[in-house]
Amino acid sequence: MTKRIKQSLTIINKLGLHARAATKLVQLANTFEADILLTQGENTAPANSVLALMMLESGQGKTIEVTCEGKDAESAMSAVKELVQNKFDEEE
Amino acid sequence: MIISDIISLDRTQCSVDCHSKKRIFEIISEIAIKQNPQLDQNEVLSSLLNREKMGSTGIGNGIAIPHGRIEGLSQIAAIIVTSDEPIEFDAIDNKPVDIFFAILVPNEEAETHLKALAGIARKLSDKEIVKAIRNAENKNQIVAALA
Repeated sequence: MTKRIKQSLTIINKLGLHARAATKLVQLANTFEADILLTQGENTAPANSVLALMMLESGQGKTIEVTCEGKDAESAMSAVKELVQNKFDEEE
Repeated sequence: MIISDIISLDRTQCSVDCHSKKRIFEIISEIAIKQNPQLDQNEVLSSLLNREKMGSTGIGNGIAIPHGRIEGLSQIAAIIVTSDEPIEFDAIDNKPVDIFFAILVPNEEAETHLKALAGIARKLSDKEIVKAIRNAENKNQIVAALA
C-alpha cells in the first residue's frame, strides 16, 4: 500500500545543504523506492537530484518539509531524519 | 548571486586534452594561478583534492563541481573546464564527466558558498545550457551559454 507522510526538519549543520550534504541525501534517497521531496518555502526539490537540492539554498536553521511517498515511505523518512539530525555526518 | 560575477573568460577553458581525474585538477589549479598569481598553486590543488577525497563532486549527467576553500581569497572564483573526452570521476551516477565547474571559495563563508552553489545549480539544471556548454567550440561560447 502506498503511504504518504510529511515531516518538518530543521537543517542544523553549519554548512547547510551544500554539495556534499546534498550528495549524501541523494545517495540515501536512491536506496528507497519512495519518492522523497524537500520543500522550503515555495520551492520543492526531489531528493534524488543534487542540483535541485542545491537550488533550495537551505542554510543552517532553515526548516524543510520532507514528503515521502511509497511503500517504504516510513523507513525513508526515518533515514532522512537521521541524516539531517546527524548533521550529514559532519562535525559542526 | 549573479553567475557572471564569478565566471571569467580568463578562467574558462574549452575541450582540454585530459584523460585523468588527477590531471583535470592540475589544469583547474593552473588556470586559477595564471589568473590570480597571488594564489599558491599547491594550496589550490590540495584544497580541491582534499574535498574530493571526502566524496566525489561528480553530481551526475557528466557534470562535476570541484570546490575548495582558500584562506585569504577575496571573493568566489569559478574555473570552468570542458574536456575533449569524458573522464572517469566516480560520479554519483557513475557516468564519466566532461564539464567541470570548479569554485574556489573564501574560508568560513557558509552562506555565500550556498548562494554560489544555488546559482550554479540553476544554470546547470537547464538542459539547454548544459548542451550549449558541451557543444561549445571555444571558451567564449561556454561563457556566453552561462551568461
